[in-house]
Amino acid sequence: MGPRPRKENGSGKPKNEKAEKKVQKLKEKNVEENLKRIEEAEAAAESSEDSPFLSDSGEDDDESLSEDNGSISESGSEQSKLSEDEDVVRAGDGGNPTGASDDDTDHSSGDSLGEGDDNDDYHGEDSHGGSDDSREVVEESDSSEDEVAPRNTIGNVPLEWYKDEEHIGYDLSGKKIKKKERQSKLDSFLASVDDSKNWRKIYDEYNDEEVELTKEETKLIRRLLKGKAPHADFDPYAPYVDWFAWDGAKHPLSNAPEPKRRFIPSKWESKMVLRYVRAIRKGLIKFDDKPKEEPRFYALWDDSTPAERQGLAYIPAPKPKLPGHEESYNPSPEYIPTQEEINSYQLMFEEDRPKFIPKQHTSLRSVPAYEKAVRETFDRCLDLYLCPRVRKKRINIDPESLKPKLPSRKDLKPYPTTCYLEYKGHKGPVTTICTESTGQWIASGSKDGTVRIWEVETGRCLQVWDIGETIEEVAWNPLTEFPILAVAAGQDVFILDTGCGSHEQQKKIEELLHVEPQKATDDSDISASIVNWVRDDRHGGIRLKHFKTVTKVEWHRKGDYLSTLMPSGESQSVLIHQLSKGLTQRIPFKTKGIPVSTAFHPTRSIFFTATKKDVRVYDLLKQKLIKKLEAGVREISSVAIHPGGDNAIVGSKDGKLCWFDMDLSSRPYRVLRCHPKDITGVAYHRSYPLFASCSDDCTAYVFHGMVYSDMNQNPLIVPLEILRGHSSADGRGVLDCKFHPRQPWLFTAGADSLIKLYCH
Amino acid sequence: MDIDGGAAAAEGSTRQVQVRFVTKLKPPYRAPPVSISIPANLTRFRLSALVNNLLQSANADWKQEPFDFLIDDELVRMSLEEFLLAKGISAEKVLEIEYIKAVAPRKQEEPSLHDDWVSAVDGSDDGYILTGCYDGLGRIWRAAGVCSHILDGHSGPVTSVCVLKPKASESVVDRIVATASKDRTLRLWKFGAQESLDQPNKIRAFKILRGHTAAVQSIAAEPSGDMVCSGSWDCSINLWSGNASDTESGLVSVKKRKKDGEDEEPQSEGEALSTLVGHTQCVSSVTWPQRGTIFSASWDHSIRRWDVETGKDSLSIFCGKVINCLDIGGESSALIAAGGSDPVLRIWDPRKPGTLSPIFQFSSHNSWISSCKWHHKSWFHLVSASYDGKVMLWDLRTAWPLAVLDTHKDKVLCADWWKDDSVVSGGADSKLCISSGILVQ
Repeated sequence: MGPRPRKENGSGKPKNEKAEKKVQKLKEKNVEENLKRIEEAEAAAESSEDSPFLSDSGEDDDESLSEDNGSISESGSEQSKLSEDEDVVRAGDGGNPTGASDDDTDHSSGDSLGEGDDNDDYHGEDSHGGSDDSREVVEESDSSEDEVAPRNTIGNVPLEWYKDEEHIGYDLSGKKIKKKERQSKLDSFLASVDDSKNWRKIYDEYNDEEVELTKEETKLIRRLLKGKAPHADFDPYAPYVDWFAWDGAKHPLSNAPEPKRRFIPSKWESKMVLRYVRAIRKGLIKFDDKPKEEPRFYALWDDSTPAERQGLAYIPAPKPKLPGHEESYNPSPEYIPTQEEINSYQLMFEEDRPKFIPKQHTSLRSVPAYEKAVRETFDRCLDLYLCPRVRKKRINIDPESLKPKLPSRKDLKPYPTTCYLEYKGHKGPVTTICTESTGQWIASGSKDGTVRIWEVETGRCLQVWDIGETIEEVAWNPLTEFPILAVAAGQDVFILDTGCGSHEQQKKIEELLHVEPQKATDDSDISASIVNWVRDDRHGGIRLKHFKTVTKVEWHRKGDYLSTLMPSGESQSVLIHQLSKGLTQRIPFKTKGIPVSTAFHPTRSIFFTATKKDVRVYDLLKQKLIKKLEAGVREISSVAIHPGGDNAIVGSKDGKLCWFDMDLSSRPYRVLRCHPKDITGVAYHRSYPLFASCSDDCTAYVFHGMVYSDMNQNPLIVPLEILRGHSSADGRGVLDCKFHPRQPWLFTAGADSLIKLYCH
Repeated sequence: MDIDGGAAAAEGSTRQVQVRFVTKLKPPYRAPPVSISIPANLTRFRLSALVNNLLQSANADWKQEPFDFLIDDELVRMSLEEFLLAKGISAEKVLEIEYIKAVAPRKQEEPSLHDDWVSAVDGSDDGYILTGCYDGLGRIWRAAGVCSHILDGHSGPVTSVCVLKPKASESVVDRIVATASKDRTLRLWKFGAQESLDQPNKIRAFKILRGHTAAVQSIAAEPSGDMVCSGSWDCSINLWSGNASDTESGLVSVKKRKKDGEDEEPQSEGEALSTLVGHTQCVSSVTWPQRGTIFSASWDHSIRRWDVETGKDSLSIFCGKVINCLDIGGESSALIAAGGSDPVLRIWDPRKPGTLSPIFQFSSHNSWISSCKWHHKSWFHLVSASYDGKVMLWDLRTAWPLAVLDTHKDKVLCADWWKDDSVVSGGADSKLCISSGILVQ
């Protein structure tokens, strides 16, 4: 079987190819129509031509053998090819959506084959090479069809694009393929009527030619249409050959009884199922109903790796800079730096200096070796694999957005902002101030031992008392009709008549303050009293002699009781005095720790004592501890109660300001760390939603502190203003601050012996 | 025109403007009404020198006089060029510049010394100045340093004083003044206008008005002098009869002073005729510009207009700041000027419909404004005193003060016009300063 089969092969193959091409052509046109036509024509032809179409497989076999005498392997290959075609045709018939892709692949394979025809495919298999040769010869010699027109190369594009053109496409050399003269419909019809073989002709739009199917091809198509194997010699019902001979077997392959596990449902499987069911119920497994849509377009040259990449993140190495014009051996003169520029490079920092200085060379030959080559390669290597490349996770957050949403300060006006008035007169640091409840006067006490009363509106000092000891605290009686002043200095508390009242009021005050000395003598006789009530003739009032230094004095809201605080008084550290009866009593409960400050509840009979660590809230009627407020600060220095009574602020010696919402919790609702130094005083405004703190850092802070009547709404705290102006003296700054009772004004007492009034 | 102006600015000093000087002043001040070309970068000072030159050329024995210049009823306070640019006035036309005599003090009188802070001053009578002082005394000054009467009687600092205008019909020689004090009383005083003594004459009040329960902050007399109203820290405004002869109603008890054994004129006590209630805080200032209306300012941030007959407030302006002083005047005596706890002197026009926002705000002071007064005859001129120790003269036609009087060493507590051409002011340095020679036409 030397040359002959090859010859056969060669002659057989083009035929097959032709058939394929035709089938393709068929498919490319509206296939169904043509096939119907063919079927009809065949039905007619069967009667006329004695074709072996209806013969059974055996005849077919004979025919095929007689026709191409091919070997079995040959026919096998043909079969496979044909089966491909069958697929194609079926696809065309069925018109199912996946057909498009199949079409493409088939077409491309056909094309490649076709190209193989024209391009000399000498590098293929040897046998094929020979066949190609022979085929070319055959083509030149007999086949009229293939000679007719060169192949169209427009590819798989809609043919409508060329509908209005003179040409149907381009041949391999790029020349236009002219359209053939089209016969008129009538002529073509007449021709078709005349031509008995017309039913076998198919017009190929793609190549603009008529193709006549051969008998074999029509046979093939017919078989395909019937759903049979395309080749007649394929027997789908070949007899089954049982290669394993059972007859002589003594023993079965396995005589073991069927194991039980084959009949019991698998536990493991049921577990798995259970697990899946649970996961589905929990929503861990989700069924995506929608098919995933793949992006239609993608960046072809995109370097970035897809995001779903797992494991260590791939960080591409930095790309080396591509050489530019300046790195040419003979760059344009504008790239070459002048000598001055080169000199100026020397002045630059090492890092800013340009890495490469362009130079001009007459020829490439004269370019010297690049002296930094090794160094740069080394650096590049470092870049590539020695230096760890870390992707910096940078979160771009607008710092503004992190700020809590607070109302603007403009909307929270009025609040104190500017200092317009100063009250000058004290000779030493002003330790304490207190505003009278109408807002007409303020009283102040100083380290120089004087208590002064000032007129608020003009800053005039109305009255001066020289007590002689450092004044710890001054407090106006909250009742407007009793303008009397309680002053804590040293171990005494003085109750002074300011003389600010009207005549009737003065009389009452005198009565009130006059009754005491007699009682006081009684008390001193009993000597059970802790405190001596003595008439103080020098200053015109009462003097309550304590046994320890008094640091705080505070009036009850009704103006009859006042509390005094002796931090070192141990069990008697907090005393409550009743002015009208001239009585003194201890608070009826034990306090723990050294008290720092005390306060009456603004509306109810509740008493606050602040120790260095916490604030204790006592009920005066039930005589028991209600609550303990833990500030969590180093040392509490001052405490103020909101006029509503449910909130308190606590200032500490580490500069923290704690706001307690006593309904909410015993822990601070908010801690404001605003002062760098000790907070010396805190204050609430009586009517405006303002509070303030003052500190030894010579500033006072004003805050907006809105307490809502709605229990669900937390207090709103907004820092408003830093009031500066005081100067430091002996390391102390602002020693006390108090709000004006009716205006949004703040008084601050400074260690610089000034009192300042900050107005809105 | 803006382009022209811009070009002018670019060219600098070479730019010329055609101007004509006009004036409403009397003939000796009238310059020839010819249009002249002057450089555009002239300022007010150079303009003034120019007008003086013009006048001197017409009149050989001309004395130099400072002038102020008005273009379109706006005082020129920068160079002419900038002014035209800012106002968008064409520099192509002949510019009419009106000149007026500059309003600035020409003379500073010797300060009249008090024993304590001078808290109140009233210069509404040309014959004398009435001052109130923190030592509880009122004083009558005939001239700078010439004190003719001392009003002795208050036990607290005098906070406010006012002069009751003598009625035109009865040409009494006696003058009546009223003072208010922190001792919760008002006192009416009578003294002879003609008396002039070497030694100040101590007089006592002929009438004591009691009724306020807190310090009286302000006092104002009705234009006819029949009644007095007062504002106090007890948040009320009391109306009192100010008539000396009307003793039947006002007299409650006549008692002789027994302290000094000698006989003295009887002191009658009066009670408030009515009380205007409405303010919620200290009434810091009251004025009584017309017979039927009282204006009051309070620390509750409001200014109210009261109808005296009904006792109701018919207008209420909220300012947002504490108001310390108030005066009514200006154009047809309708504008309200007030200052308070901030350095801004505000002027409202209550006739303006719709809005109650100030029409002018002058903010050259540095501290609280303690006093403001309209000039009696001018529509435009104001004086204001502030705690920053300065007294400023204002003209509504410019945003800058006309003059700043810096004679006080401490807070200025009160200021007023006197004799139409002087400003009197008293302060915490216990001085009454008189700046005279202010020519307001």
